[in-house]
Amino acid sequence: MTTELRQTDQGRPLPDDRLKHVLYLLRLCRYFDERMEALYRQGRLPGAIYSGRGQEGTHVGVASALEPDDSLFPTHRDLSAQLTKGLDLNRVMAQYWGRIDGYLRGRDGNSHVGDWFGHRTFAVISHLPIAYPVACGAALAYKRRGDKRVAMAICGDGSTSNGRWHEAINTSSIHRLPVVWVVNNNQYAYSTPNTLEFGVPTIAERAAAYGIPGVRVDGANVLEVYAAAKEAVDRARSDGGPTLIESVSLRWRGHAGHDPAKYMPRELLEDHMANKDPVKNFETWMLAEGIVTAGDVEEIQKRVEGEFEAGFEFAQSSPYPEPGDVTKGLWVEDGYWTSEPGRGGGTEAS
Amino acid sequence: MAKAQVEAGAAGHGAEPRGKRTEAGEATYLIAIAEALWEEMERDERVYMLGEDIGAYGGAFKVTEGFIERFGDGRVMDTPIAEETIVGMAVGSAMEGMRPVAEFQYADFMSSGFDEITTVLARYHYRSGVPLPVVLRGPSGGGVRASSFHSINPEPWFAHAGGIKVICPAFPSDAKGLLKSAIRDDNPCMFLEHKWIYRRIKEIVPEEPDFLVPIGKADVKREGSDVSIITYGAMVHKALEAAENLAQRGMSAEVVDLRTVYPLDEDTVLRSIEKTSRALVLSESYRFLGIGAEVAATIAEKAFEHLDAPVERLSPPNIPVPFSPTLEDAFLPGVSDIEAAVERLSAW
Ligand SMILES: Cc1ncc(C[n+]2csc(CCOP(=O)(O)OP(=O)(O)O)c2C)c(N)n1
Repeated sequence: MTTELRQTDQGRPLPDDRLKHVLYLLRLCRYFDERMEALYRQGRLPGAIYSGRGQEGTHVGVASALEPDDSLFPTHRDLSAQLTKGLDLNRVMAQYWGRIDGYLRGRDGNSHVGDWFGHRTFAVISHLPIAYPVACGAALAYKRRGDKRVAMAICGDGSTSNGRWHEAINTSSIHRLPVVWVVNNNQYAYSTPNTLEFGVPTIAERAAAYGIPGVRVDGANVLEVYAAAKEAVDRARSDGGPTLIESVSLRWRGHAGHDPAKYMPRELLEDHMANKDPVKNFETWMLAEGIVTAGDVEEIQKRVEGEFEAGFEFAQSSPYPEPGDVTKGLWVEDGYWTSEPGRGGGTEAS
Repeated sequence: MAKAQVEAGAAGHGAEPRGKRTEAGEATYLIAIAEALWEEMERDERVYMLGEDIGAYGGAFKVTEGFIERFGDGRVMDTPIAEETIVGMAVGSAMEGMRPVAEFQYADFMSSGFDEITTVLARYHYRSGVPLPVVLRGPSGGGVRASSFHSINPEPWFAHAGGIKVICPAFPSDAKGLLKSAIRDDNPCMFLEHKWIYRRIKEIVPEEPDFLVPIGKADVKREGSDVSIITYGAMVHKALEAAENLAQRGMSAEVVDLRTVYPLDEDTVLRSIEKTSRALVLSESYRFLGIGAEVAATIAEKAFEHLDAPVERLSPPNIPVPFSPTLEDAFLPGVSDIEAAVERLSAW
């Protein structure tokens, strides 16, 4: 693994404290994903789950390249990227349980979350890849105003078959917009493999059709992903236009909690879990480089577990939204979103 | 069939220059709309326009003629033929504090951006509290021999999306004042410009830079006492013509112009029914689940005790807008249809 890493002139791609933070994020996202699935299976988590397991290298890698006021336009699969951007786990979990303290005040659930005013993440919309054109618009605003800011959008491999994926990239190229296009190629779109989604060997090579750089990276290697994302973000920020990044991994779980993914070849999954685990790979490297000790890793894990428990408790104790507020917040002028919402009047949904 | 003749170029596509106000200060609907855009672009530099062929060409109907020379290609942005992206870009830039006005070459092509309109634009604020001051504008409506794909009245689709104000003005002054209001509104607005009206209807249009017409308010365009005709868009002009003819035969029709179809100004509609006790709901959107269906239901639900006759609806059947003049005239409600309906209602 070490030899594959891209090294900066300083030797390591990031300062040690940031590398430790990357390890924390990888562990957090993995643990969150596993525990939420367990709760889902126990019937203790309402709604849906879309596991990002096995793809944490992609999510943490690309989102780590963004500055706080850069914007992120993710999908259902990309909660780990939103957590990397800094979303508060408590409020994320309150959203899963439909509570008023969720980022969207109970108006949406699961990973369809976002925190525009805080961490500059777009509240996920199901339709794929519907946020690609929206990212163009944010990037357009940055460019027009001369803000040195960047928009980044993520979608899956299957989403690249949809017309607006092409529309948006083409438009971003014409207007040289400061945007980074990320494709989380986890090899499956629900049950559909890459071979039934596109007729070219890689997604990255499609960049040539739009006259922009395209790069394919190993999603099992978070630092390789980060390096490519950083280069793309820097290019966008310095008016060099958009970049397409294809980060390859595997979706370890079914499309959603209900899907056992029987269509996925066992050997493929076993190979990825044994040899291409982005969390394990990075941890091994961190230990080998002496950046962390086994004790540090244990501490990180403890912190992660503590945060999850706290988030769970926070979500359970947060009230449901007031049913009388159901029609509020459609129009700006009713003031719902700029005032404190009604709390505690709601009754538990069945 | 008096009108059984194809009016060449009537759709306005590739038409003459936009023209100017008359010396008396009259402006066409087209000029009034252009003035609204111009004034708001001057007033607020966050306002910008995007769309197909709106720059040097000035737009398919010449609404934006001359804008690029004044405001530059940064604020008058030619886009590729990518409607999903036009809407998505408008949304994203609005999230970042701009105030986009997106032109659709025809309102028909709004369906090519349908998902971004109904799924993102209409639902985003309710879900997340992020205001989206976006205006989508485009030429709608029939009666100009432009057939299936250049005549649509898409207002029911988008009124039904729930989070978009849908505006369908009939007069130049209303068009100007409502478009300015829409651009200043912090919510998504759809502004449908009836292309039949563009160059046909002119009137004195206010020139004050802060002349605004409120969104969501209907207007009584002609007072009457026997029957209320509730309508909007180009049908307002048909209703006024019918009302004039009816007056000569001693019948008094009131014409209520909705101006905004969503949210609906129920008060003005119900007040008119209380006065006349008879309702003709006239619309150019389809009869089945069209705007008229909603208005008729509202009257039946909330003004039942005032009615002396069943609510009558007049609107086109749910079929694509046909091309041939004989067919299109049969498809659209005509002045004589309106007169006959009013007479039927008056006979109750
Ligand atoms: C336009 C659209 N059609 C269908 C769906 C239903 N759907 C949800 S996820 C999914 C598969 C997505 O695959 P991919 O883009 O590869 O992303 P992944 O879920 O693997 O991250 C489908 C078909 C959707 N969300 N949007």
